[in-house]
Amino acid sequence: MRILPALLVFAGAALAQDGATRADWNYHGGTQYAWRYSALDQINRNNVSKLAPVWAFQTGDYEMGLQSTPIVIGGKLYLSTSRSQVFALDAATGRLIWQFKYPLPRATVPYGPQNRGIAVGGGYVLLATYDDYLIAIDENTGQEAWRVSLDDMRQCGCTVTGAPLVVKDKVIVGGAGGDSAHRGYLTAIYLKTGRVAWRFYTIPGPGEKGHETWKGDSWKFGGGATWMTGSFDPALNLVYWGVGNAAADNDARARYSGVGEGANLYTASVVALDADTGKLKWYHQEIPKDVWDFDSSYECVLIDREVRGQMRKLLVHINKGGYAFVLDRVTGEYINGYPIVDNHNWTTGLTEDGKFVGRVEPVEGKTTLFCPSPFGGKSWNETTYSPRTGFLYTPTLEVCADEAAVSEEPHEGRNFIGGTWKFTNTPSGPAHSHLDAYDPVTGKRQWSYPYKYMLLASLLATGGDVLFTGDPEGFFFALDARTGTKLWSFQTGSGHRGSSVTYMVNGRQYVATPSGWGSLASGSFPDLWPETATFRGGSTLTVFALPEAR
Amino acid sequence: MTRLALVCLLPALAGAQDMIGRGADIFAKSCATGYCHGPKGGSGSTAPRLAARGFSEDYISQTIRRGVPGTAMPAFGDILPREQLAAVIAYVDSLNGITPRNPQPEAEPEKKLPPEAAQGRELFFDSLRGFGRCSTCHQVDGFGIPVASPIAKIPADAAALRQLATPEIHTATANGETFPALIVSQGKNQTKLYDLTSPPPVLRTFAPAVVTLKEGSDWRHAGVLPAYSDAELQNILAFLRAAAAP
Repeated sequence: MRILPALLVFAGAALAQDGATRADWNYHGGTQYAWRYSALDQINRNNVSKLAPVWAFQTGDYEMGLQSTPIVIGGKLYLSTSRSQVFALDAATGRLIWQFKYPLPRATVPYGPQNRGIAVGGGYVLLATYDDYLIAIDENTGQEAWRVSLDDMRQCGCTVTGAPLVVKDKVIVGGAGGDSAHRGYLTAIYLKTGRVAWRFYTIPGPGEKGHETWKGDSWKFGGGATWMTGSFDPALNLVYWGVGNAAADNDARARYSGVGEGANLYTASVVALDADTGKLKWYHQEIPKDVWDFDSSYECVLIDREVRGQMRKLLVHINKGGYAFVLDRVTGEYINGYPIVDNHNWTTGLTEDGKFVGRVEPVEGKTTLFCPSPFGGKSWNETTYSPRTGFLYTPTLEVCADEAAVSEEPHEGRNFIGGTWKFTNTPSGPAHSHLDAYDPVTGKRQWSYPYKYMLLASLLATGGDVLFTGDPEGFFFALDARTGTKLWSFQTGSGHRGSSVTYMVNGRQYVATPSGWGSLASGSFPDLWPETATFRGGSTLTVFALPEAR
Repeated sequence: MTRLALVCLLPALAGAQDMIGRGADIFAKSCATGYCHGPKGGSGSTAPRLAARGFSEDYISQTIRRGVPGTAMPAFGDILPREQLAAVIAYVDSLNGITPRNPQPEAEPEKKLPPEAAQGRELFFDSLRGFGRCSTCHQVDGFGIPVASPIAKIPADAAALRQLATPEIHTATANGETFPALIVSQGKNQTKLYDLTSPPPVLRTFAPAVVTLKEGSDWRHAGVLPAYSDAELQNILAFLRAAAAP
C-alpha cells in the first residue's frame, strides 16, 4: 500500500488506470497489475547508450541460476536466490544491510531449488522457501518474525518457486508440483500473525462444482500447480492467478471424465478469486484436457483498453501453448486470442469464442513432434506493458519437442508426467526466439527482435521508451520500445534468467539486473546448441545508472 | 569345470538380461519423463545424458540410491522397492557397458503393517485433509512437520486422544492477543513459540518483554481433529503403536 501516495496524485489528474512504478519497485510485477513498467524517464532512448555500471553484488549462491526479481522500497533493495537466501542492500551503493541465511537443502528438492522472488509488505520481507515454508523477515533488522509450513516437501513432491503477492492484510503464495502426483492450491496468510486465512484448491473436491470433470480418483493427484505470481485489482477486490497443467501431463486417459463443462478444472485456467475469502468468482479454462504440459501459470497483465470503441477492464494472459488470451477481468468473458509463436502445430487454431480446434495429441508407443515444446511458447519470464507505446512485449520461444505418452500410475509426490520429451528444432529451421511488440488486444505484431538461442529473462519497459532484458550469453541490453532497434548492451559475465527492475534514489535512476545462468531450461541448451555447453553459472546483481554530472 | 561354469553362468546371464529389461521399463516410467532424463538414457531433455558416459558401477549405484542433494535428482533408494532399484541400476550399468555382477537381488525383508495400522498411516498423512491431517504437526518415519516433540505416550483410545492437550502447553499474550502456545526456546533476546490458534501452527518470534506466558491452556486435540471419525482415530493409534514397536 506504499504506492498509494503516488496513485492519489495521478487519481487527481485523471481516473485512468495507473500500473506504473516510480521511485520504488514494490511488487514482483512492479505494481499489482503486473505491467513491469516504470514511469521513470531519466534514462531514455536518447541517453541509454551512456549507461554505465555503478555497483555489483555477488550472492555466492549460483545453484540453478539467479531467477529473481528484486524489490526496491525507500532506497533499500531486497534480493532472493534459488536456495532461499535473502539480502537487503543499499539500493544506491550495494552495501549489505542484512542477510537472511536459510539452511541449504540436505535432500533432493523437487525440480531443484528455484526462487523467483520475495514480496514485501506489513513491515516484512516474505520468503517462500524451496521446502514449502513461508517466512516473514523484519524488513529493517533481517530477523525472523514468523514462519509457517505450507506443505511437506518430501510427501507432496512440491516446492515454491514463484514470488508471493501481498494483497491488503494478507500475502498469497502458490506452489510448484504440478508435474508430480499432487493437488495444487493457493494459500493466503495474514501478514500480522502468519496464520492461514484461506486456501483455494485448484482442483475441486467431492461435492464442489467442477469435480465432475475428473475421472474417478484422478482429482487427488491431478496437478494444477500455481507456480508463478498472480495479480490483484483493488477496485474489484479480485485476485487473478494462472493455474498449471493437469497431471499426468501427457496422458489424459485416466483423468478426463468427459462430463461437465471444461475438462480437468481448474487446470490450464486463469482463476479470479475474492481477495478476502478465496472464493472463486470466475474462471477461464484456456486448454480443456491439456495433454502437452501447457500450463496457464504465467502472469496476468491487468490493463484498461478500448475494445471496439468501448473502454474495458482487461486481463491479458499468455499460455505455454503459444497463444495469448484477452479476457474481461470483471466477468471472465473471452474477448480475443492470438498466437505469439510462428511454430504451432498442436491445434489448427481458435474459434470465435476461444475454443481450440484441430487438436493433435501425444500417443503411446510413437513420438510426435509438437510445437511449442513443454518449455512453452514463452517461458515463465515475464512480459511488460508500456502505456506510452500501448504495446505488450513478450520473449517468444520457437522450440519444439518429440513427445510420446506413457501410461503411468500416480504415487503421491513422485513425478507424474506420463510422457517423454526430447527438445528439438522446428520444422521451419533451428530453434530460436524473438522479442516482439504486440497490440495486446488485436494481437497485431508491431516489430520483432530475433535471437539465436532462447531468451529466458523477463522484460522491463520504461517511461523513457527503453526496453531492457538480458540474454543467455550474458549481455544485458536495451531496445527502443517503439521500434525494436538495439540501443546499448553490457556483458554481465553470465547468462540471464531473472527479471530486471528500475528505481530512483536521491533523484538518480538506477536499472538493476540479476544475471547467472542455470535452471531446468538451461539444461537443454547444449543439446540444441552444443557451443553453449561452456556457459557458466553465476549469481550477480549488476546495477546501472547514467554518469553523474560533474 | 568349464562345462559346469557355463551351466552356472547361462541362467545368470538370462537373469541379468531379464533384470535389465525390467530396469528399462522402470527407467522409461520413472526416469525418462518430462523434465528429467531423455528416453533410453539419451540426451534431449533437461537432465544429463546417462548412456555411454563411462560411469563406474559404484557411481551409478550411489547416485541412484542416494540422489544428488540440493538438486532434482531424488534418492531412489527411498522410493523404489529393492528389486526395482536393482533392476534400474542394472539398466543404467548396461547403458555404460557394465555387466551387472549380481543379477539376483536379495529378498526384501518387508515391514508390513497390519491392515488397520496401514489404514491409520494413510489417514495420518492424508494430504486431502489439508492442514487437518496429523502430519501437519507430527513427524513419524521421517515424514510430516516436527512441530510437536516425538510422540512419547500413545493415548489408549479416540476419546483419550481428543481430550489430550499437548505437553508443556502455555497460554501466550502478546501485542494484545492471547493464544495457545508451544514454547520452542526462551533466550535473552527472543522467545520462540508455536502459535496453535489454528492449523498449521505458526512459529513466532517475540522480544521476551512483549510476550507473557502462563502455564496451561484449554487447547485440546479435539479442536484440530474434526475431520477424523472415532474409527479413523483408532486406526491412527494402531499405526502409532506399530511405528513405535521395535
